[in-house]
Amino acid sequence: MNDSPLIRLSEVSKVYHLESGDFAALKKISLDIYEGEFIALMGPSGSGKSTMMNQLGILDVPTSGELFIDGKNMADMTNLERTHMRRDIIGYVFQKFYLIPLLSAYENVEYPLVLKYKKRDTTGKAAAVLKSVGFDKEMGEHRPNQLSGGQQQRVAIARALVNDPKIILCDEPTGNLDRKTGFQIMEILCGLYEEGKTVILGTHDPKIAEYAHRTITLEDGRIAG
Amino acid sequence: MRDIFFDLSIRSVRLNYLRSILASVGIVIGVVAISVMGMLGTNMQLEVKDQLSSGANTIVITPDVVRMGPPGSTPTSSGTSDVISKAQLSKIKIAAGSNASYIIPVYSTNTEFTLGSVPGRGMIYGIDPGDITSFLTIENGTNIGGINDALVGSTIATNFNLKLGSRIKIGSSSSGSRPEVRIVGILKERGMASDNVGTDNAIIVSDEWYTNQYGGKDEYPQVNVIVKNIDSISGVETAIDTKLNTDAKKSVVRIQDASSRLSSITSTLGTMTTFILAIGAISLLVAATSIFNVMMMSVTERVHEIGILLSIGTERGEVRRMFLYEAVILGILGGGVGGIASLVIGYSVVSAMIGSTAYFFMPESISYIPIGMVIGIVVCVVSGLYPAWRASNMDPIDALRSE
Repeated sequence: MNDSPLIRLSEVSKVYHLESGDFAALKKISLDIYEGEFIALMGPSGSGKSTMMNQLGILDVPTSGELFIDGKNMADMTNLERTHMRRDIIGYVFQKFYLIPLLSAYENVEYPLVLKYKKRDTTGKAAAVLKSVGFDKEMGEHRPNQLSGGQQQRVAIARALVNDPKIILCDEPTGNLDRKTGFQIMEILCGLYEEGKTVILGTHDPKIAEYAHRTITLEDGRIAG
Repeated sequence: MRDIFFDLSIRSVRLNYLRSILASVGIVIGVVAISVMGMLGTNMQLEVKDQLSSGANTIVITPDVVRMGPPGSTPTSSGTSDVISKAQLSKIKIAAGSNASYIIPVYSTNTEFTLGSVPGRGMIYGIDPGDITSFLTIENGTNIGGINDALVGSTIATNFNLKLGSRIKIGSSSSGSRPEVRIVGILKERGMASDNVGTDNAIIVSDEWYTNQYGGKDEYPQVNVIVKNIDSISGVETAIDTKLNTDAKKSVVRIQDASSRLSSITSTLGTMTTFILAIGAISLLVAATSIFNVMMMSVTERVHEIGILLSIGTERGEVRRMFLYEAVILGILGGGVGGIASLVIGYSVVSAMIGSTAYFFMPESISYIPIGMVIGIVVCVVSGLYPAWRASNMDPIDALRSE
């Protein structure tokens, strides 16, 4: 494990300005996450878990405090640089899979490669990653609406992995799956951790959180434990 | 392999094919309107130019008369004569000199006539038979030989079903004794005559017959000078002007050639073409609104998808490109179909309204089709700019939440 953290949050707050008044979803959170960790981010609804995941996924920026990912301060980066960080450093696995409906399973996996290299994949990498989650070529031609929930989540994981990111962010990755399929997905994520990836898992299910080696619990926008 | 964003755009258009087709129909109509209107105007201009340019080497000299009374009344002039005299004709001959191949004095008036019991009205020209074939073409029959021989224009011949040998009584049926002429030839259609001798709806008699009937010998309403070389036309005009219009304050004769008439008529037709093109452009404006609406709907329906794209690292420019591709696809679809439709409809309209498609495939005319297509595509792209910008500037979290 590297001495300097891969992710550092220093007194990070996130305040939403609502019609009913300001609402602080995160309150001065300080946290270090090191490369190769498998972390479960737990907390009930409204605890700030999703806001935290959005910060770590660089989908949002803190209202105050500093967030460093891979040594870079998010506040100092341009919008385009943050987009490239999302593309190259982070692989995001969503609860509802969020595959692109107009693309086939293969094209969904190929898509991040196209974003990065500005051309269609001719190296076979997309097909290889898709195969690693149990998809053959024929299955890869199916559109998302022709796949089961478990299959869609496998494609989503393959898409998250294809650019070889340092961080895999999973927001309730088993939330829309049956128990058996959920455990299969968790086995894949454990395998990624064993390969040295940093896996951050947002969940409210203690059984799923047990797969992680470190659990951070959020309550009312603060780290409770 | 194609650009993945282009693929996404094509699939989106296919997914909403009915909406896309309806939006493209607007562009089709716009492209057809612009192309057909443009081609129609251009074909009219080319047709008129051709008709006038057949007499491009002709100078028309008329008395510079200011009519003081109502139309049809005897022209009065501010000191000048309303005819060209024999002396003035001589001066014209001297001024034109060897540059002129023909100098043709033309008598003319408007007259009634009767063929059997059918009355008619038209121009009657009195011209030296020796000069007739220098600028008129006899399509059927022969030139005037005898004193009572006459030629008729193609329109009169068709309308009155005239044959060679038919006889026409000249003058009002209410007048007593009326002279009769015998048709010996039918002239080829001339259309719009730039030399002021519109023969299609006219009777041509010899100058001798004319002056016998109407008087005014050696008093010509018009003299036409046909120059040998078109390049010498302005020099001849200047020479005649110098010779006849000696008083700087008051012109005696008016000197015109086809080019001044041509520029005046083509300028008018050009204005008309611009006007009808503007009407066509209004339909493109309507089409632009339709495309804008379709693109905004596409963006609104795909907010969640845009959120996914942005959250996994798609650049805003790439999202913009995807929606602009969609606009371009709709434009190419509408422009392409519009181009083909313009060819078919344009040909039919030009044929029906002008009666000739001789100029339809000329570059000046046919170029309106690619111009219309390009305008259609540009309109689509411009209509898609704001929706594309809106899509690319969405907040990824808000877009993902819009599920």
